[in-house]
Amino acid sequence: MSEPATSLAEAREADAERRQGIVDVDVHPVPSSVDEIRERMPMPFRDRYQGERRSFFNNPVHGSRLDAVPPDGGPKGSDPEFMRRQLIDEYGVAYAILVSRTFCNIHPDPDYAAAIATAFNEWLVEVWLTEHNHDGAFKGSITIAQQDPARAVEEIERWAGHEHIVQVTMDSGARMPFGQRYYYPIYEACERHGLPLSVHPGTEGMGINHQPTPGYPTHYIEWHCAMSLAFQAHLISILTEGVFERYPGLRLVLVEGGVAWLAPLLWRLDSYWKALRSEVPWLRKPPSEYVADHVRLGTQPLERPDDDAQLLQLMEMMDAKRVLMFSSDYPHWDFDSPARAFPRLDDDVREAIFSTNARELYQLNQ
Amino acid sequence: MTRHLVGPVSELPPGSRKIVEVAGRSIGVFNVAGSFYALRNSCPHQGAPLCLGSIGGTAATSRPGEYTWGREGEILRCPWHGWEFDITTGRSVFNPHRMKVRSYDVTVSHELPDDVEIEMYPVEVEDGLVLLEI
Repeated sequence: MSEPATSLAEAREADAERRQGIVDVDVHPVPSSVDEIRERMPMPFRDRYQGERRSFFNNPVHGSRLDAVPPDGGPKGSDPEFMRRQLIDEYGVAYAILVSRTFCNIHPDPDYAAAIATAFNEWLVEVWLTEHNHDGAFKGSITIAQQDPARAVEEIERWAGHEHIVQVTMDSGARMPFGQRYYYPIYEACERHGLPLSVHPGTEGMGINHQPTPGYPTHYIEWHCAMSLAFQAHLISILTEGVFERYPGLRLVLVEGGVAWLAPLLWRLDSYWKALRSEVPWLRKPPSEYVADHVRLGTQPLERPDDDAQLLQLMEMMDAKRVLMFSSDYPHWDFDSPARAFPRLDDDVREAIFSTNARELYQLNQ
Repeated sequence: MTRHLVGPVSELPPGSRKIVEVAGRSIGVFNVAGSFYALRNSCPHQGAPLCLGSIGGTAATSRPGEYTWGREGEILRCPWHGWEFDITTGRSVFNPHRMKVRSYDVTVSHELPDDVEIEMYPVEVEDGLVLLEI
């Protein structure tokens, strides 16, 4: 823990640093043990919970950075102070947007799923957003289980307004595309509280969820690469169903689903809209135009062609300066280094992606 | 070319590694089945501390559905993204001609040469000294 600022000048200096740092929109805090979650669950769920995650499609090499083991032991990503050293101090991160990996949406029992989400939220707020957040660098996400939208709304109501809660998060693994009416209570609650909704992969085809592929892939590499298909399907659904017409204040954040597909997908969708707009007459403008106002994408894992110029062209096509926000995915294996993930960018583009887009979205000090 | 003392051979048994700071660079020195190799401790991909990665074997390129495991102890995997490097050459497994990490020569000497850089290191010469050439 650093010492509290002892003078006005020091406080001003700390504030100036905070205004300049990177915002990382996908960082994963991990419980020190299953008991940390279990002890926050009511019976009968407390006895049932074993820390279930997806049962296959695990990385056959390693799932998290080998150098992310805290010096005092414990799982990677479980020590807030070590995360400060390895991510926040190392790269000049001003705000880390924490997203718990609960895997709650794999379960057929909606009450059990909601109990897992609630316990993770309590843990996140108590341990990471309060006990270890003297500098306010950790900002949190409310995890919801999609299995019961009404219960998910209660969870949002419970935490909205907390000074360090900045968004709602749910997994992209799903039983139906995200544009469908089933989800609207969740969107209404997010809009009402001014909380962006972040979507994160990891439970595709697990438990009750569909695969985004025509059937089960064989290997982790195939499953992992195909996760971006789920994001594309969800985005097409949200845009064509008119979710942003119903909920004009809703902001959607797509993390870890890839970014390079965005421009060509929107070209395709816009071209169909010209012919088929009468099927979805609630769209007042080309689908792509909703993206700039409502959707932001986390950059990790950034696609890197051998030729940097090709990536820079793709970024221009997708209006990267407006829609991208840097994410590292710390401490996971495919961590993107703030220093090395991107080719050299123009200063204004870099500033937008690494800082200002997220500061505007999450209303962090600007 | 300057030679730097890594340490006595007895401190680097087969299968082990040692990370040293030499001339402002972090370098990993490896003992693979009795032979010594040194690699820059920075992955050419995104700058991870490569030499802290796992040491093991790899599946050689094979026909679909077949697995040929081998080279046990010769392959270093980056601790972040898992890229594989051949410890004996510094070359990556997936593209040995274009993707590689800087490697350095390592020798074993049974006497302490005059020109070697020593920084207050207790030296025992009996079983040989591992020297890194940079």
